[in-house]
Amino acid sequence: MAEQDVVFRVTRYRPVPGGRPTFQDYRLPFRNDMVVLDGLNYIKDHLDPTLTFRWSCRMGICGSCGANINGQPSLTCETFIRDVSRGVVTVEPLSNFPILKDLVVDFDDFLNKLASVKPYIVRKDWGDWTKEYTQYPEDLEAYRQQSLCINCMLCYAACPVVGTSPEFIGPAASALALRYIRDSRDEGADARLARLNTKNGVWECTFVGECSVVCPKDVDPAAAIQTLKVLATMRHLRRLLMPASR
Amino acid sequence: MARHEYPWKRRPGWWLRNPRYLAFQLREAGGVVCALYGLLLLNLLMQLREGESTYVAFLTMLRTPPVLYLNGVLFGLVLWHAISWFMLIGKAQPVQLTRKPLPWKAVFGINVVLWLGVSGAVVYLIFGGI
Amino acid sequence: MERTTHDIVVVGGGAAGLRAAIAAAEADPDLTIALVSKVYPMRSHTVSAEGGTAAVLRDYDSFELHALDTIKGSDFLADQDAVEFFVARCPEEIIRLEHWGCPWSRDPDGRVSQRAFGGMSVKRTVYAADKVGFHILHTLFQTSMKYPQIHRFDESFVTSLIVDGGACTGVVAMDLRSGSMVAIAAKATILATGGCGRVYEFTTNGFIKTGDGMALAYRAGVPLKDMEMVQFHPTCLPGTGILITEAARGEGGYLINKDGERYMQRYLPGKMELGPRDILSRAMIEEIKAGRAFEGPYGPYLGLDLRHLGAKKINERIPMVRELVEKYMGLDPIHEPIPVRPGQHYMMGGVSTNMKGETSLPGLYAVGETACVSINGANRLGSNSLSECLVFGTATGLAAAGFAKRRPSYPRGAAAREALRKEEARVFDGLLGRERGKETLAGIRVEMQQLMERDVGIFRDESGLADACANLAKLRDRFGAVGLADKDRVFNTELTGVLELDLMLDVAATIAHSARERRESRGAHSRTDHPQRDDANYLKHTLAFRTDGAPRIDYAPVTITKWQPAERKY
Repeated sequence: MAEQDVVFRVTRYRPVPGGRPTFQDYRLPFRNDMVVLDGLNYIKDHLDPTLTFRWSCRMGICGSCGANINGQPSLTCETFIRDVSRGVVTVEPLSNFPILKDLVVDFDDFLNKLASVKPYIVRKDWGDWTKEYTQYPEDLEAYRQQSLCINCMLCYAACPVVGTSPEFIGPAASALALRYIRDSRDEGADARLARLNTKNGVWECTFVGECSVVCPKDVDPAAAIQTLKVLATMRHLRRLLMPASR
Repeated sequence: MARHEYPWKRRPGWWLRNPRYLAFQLREAGGVVCALYGLLLLNLLMQLREGESTYVAFLTMLRTPPVLYLNGVLFGLVLWHAISWFMLIGKAQPVQLTRKPLPWKAVFGINVVLWLGVSGAVVYLIFGGI
Repeated sequence: MERTTHDIVVVGGGAAGLRAAIAAAEADPDLTIALVSKVYPMRSHTVSAEGGTAAVLRDYDSFELHALDTIKGSDFLADQDAVEFFVARCPEEIIRLEHWGCPWSRDPDGRVSQRAFGGMSVKRTVYAADKVGFHILHTLFQTSMKYPQIHRFDESFVTSLIVDGGACTGVVAMDLRSGSMVAIAAKATILATGGCGRVYEFTTNGFIKTGDGMALAYRAGVPLKDMEMVQFHPTCLPGTGILITEAARGEGGYLINKDGERYMQRYLPGKMELGPRDILSRAMIEEIKAGRAFEGPYGPYLGLDLRHLGAKKINERIPMVRELVEKYMGLDPIHEPIPVRPGQHYMMGGVSTNMKGETSLPGLYAVGETACVSINGANRLGSNSLSECLVFGTATGLAAAGFAKRRPSYPRGAAAREALRKEEARVFDGLLGRERGKETLAGIRVEMQQLMERDVGIFRDESGLADACANLAKLRDRFGAVGLADKDRVFNTELTGVLELDLMLDVAATIAHSARERRESRGAHSRTDHPQRDDANYLKHTLAFRTDGAPRIDYAPVTITKWQPAERKY
């Protein structure tokens, strides 16, 4: 027995025949502990099986379910309807990405950007494979925050620069680059900073800061990018003034 | 089967729909205003070189109500530009004296105090006289 | 692109699949490896694992002890040679991951930390705060980017295996983004698609855990082993089913009933909250039946009390537990007990394999939760699953690489073409073309989930299991009338939902039938009509084979090396 109803205004887009995205309204029963994802699943199960969206873990850790909810990039599995509804909840695909179908966007571009920052430990000598490298709790703390990125793309949706400059490396890829640079076991800072110290590297960022506002895991990519600007500059100056150290 | 993706299109007025985007746009506009004001001061010097009458005429023009109101608005933008940048400095240039960098609020506070100090000194120089 | 050929195809991009792909890539850089996943790999359900991964790393521990704990935990159904193989290789996997950047939590001296866990006699569970699965998955996924010979087929749903000349020679997959089928021919195929928790109504598992690989192997004639062994995790949040990690108890949390009593003293005074999961789940049901549980909007529940741990420990060791409880239950575990109840969590059973991941079909391998080697027997100890994915991921990847290297020629193109045509007809003309009728995808799925929950749950009996078997057969018939509203081929999640339901109905039937034929209680399989363990008749693995009707149940012996089955006392 529904206490009351809520209306979901959801973007619909069919790749065949194409055309332009439109909105479709759905009225559904509302329970106080429902998240937006519960609403989307209700629509798909009971009202319109053609509604298409990504989801999996429903606990905010897999990063599949990003969408613009009332204009704000959010995870549908973590956004409670009671917090965003004034009778109508607008659900659109994440900004700044091409739309594949309904709420599903294409973010293959991000995976290329991620690969370009070498998101793995780079070392010349791997040493002993029978004993762990020593890493103190404070060393772990140095990169722990950036390691929490779930690749949900909310930061890319929030960043106005990504919208106008699609080649901008973006918040998440930068945060993950910093995660490896700051990992005491890694030796690959030089190659990563070379990649980041380019026009479509970190320098496209004008510090709007919205990426850190929308990040569901408090990765703070905005601060990461500014730190990378400092590191990239120092590396550049070192190479300029002390060519022997290259 | 070809993929028909719909390319994302930015809606005009995007920066009005989110208070933080608006704050950002105003901050950036404030930067432009700072630069323009610098040009104005340069022009003031040039007017001074032209002679006393042109200089006085220029100052009179600057004192007219429309220009004063405009200056008020522009001063607001410049203030916002300064304050918002002070808020960012803690993150843009982390000052690390101990294990963790100084929290941005502390850096903001220090910068505001320095700013008020320097502004106070300038005001004293101009109006208090040495 | 309709067809492509690789040396090895890995289906599933979770911990086991990624580890196998990397192991094969490192074994021989000339091998080409296709990694096919119906989601992007970092969305795999490995990501939600919280507690930790076990290994013998310290002097106070030994392989003997880890093996004994595992075998005893399995209620002596585990194959002991496999367990010995397993425990000896956990440490090197942990170190390898550590070298690859995995952020294991550390002791003050810089060494990898270990915590206590259910059923483990000593602290051997390596952890990364309470996000071990997330960190392992992202470490493996990002490390896999180092190997250009691993070609990813993201968001490609495997609909069938290609079987040619009595061997598996690849897979047919539907590329969601283009909407077309592709045949991926390969010398070796590794199934690593995870478990099948979504056949149950209340599960910790994500939406994608639909037993795809299990059903694909089953349909190709490979038996599913010990499917009746379903693990129910004691501490899940009511309503959502979100997992609250065993680590909360490992760090000292208590389980309380509505009288505030630590009720485990009635069931397992020796280990209390750190007993094995099957015993704890049953204890909860008993407390609920005895009327000592709390009542809530989603039914009865017990309490997980962390208040005495203090804010510092909670925020350092189990921060995600606090986040989840605050977000989804609206309360702070520092000040209030967490409502919990048992829910389906893991499948001990799966595709029958040996220690190298080989199945009875040459060229077909299985690893991870999809497979049953068996090291978990009738009940898995917490933190053994991720270690299993790593150890057997490596072993299977190496075995598949060796197999591929020894075969000079690639599979017949004709077989792949034929399989592709067949699947296009079955899926596009057959399923997609069906009009919507009386039966709906959601309707049949919910009925299946409810009957599994009711009749094939924590406590089972003959009549309930007989009902389950009969009702599943009826649902299978009714499934024939499910039609689709979404006729697009591109990213059709209604179609993938129907494909998944098709696979789940097969897997659910093997669970129900295997459970019915095991007339004893062992580990997680509890029969109220046969409450004792019966080694004389049932110290053996159940094998479920596909037929045109009900699954055919057969048995295989358990390998015993050093540890004679004894009473499972804690």
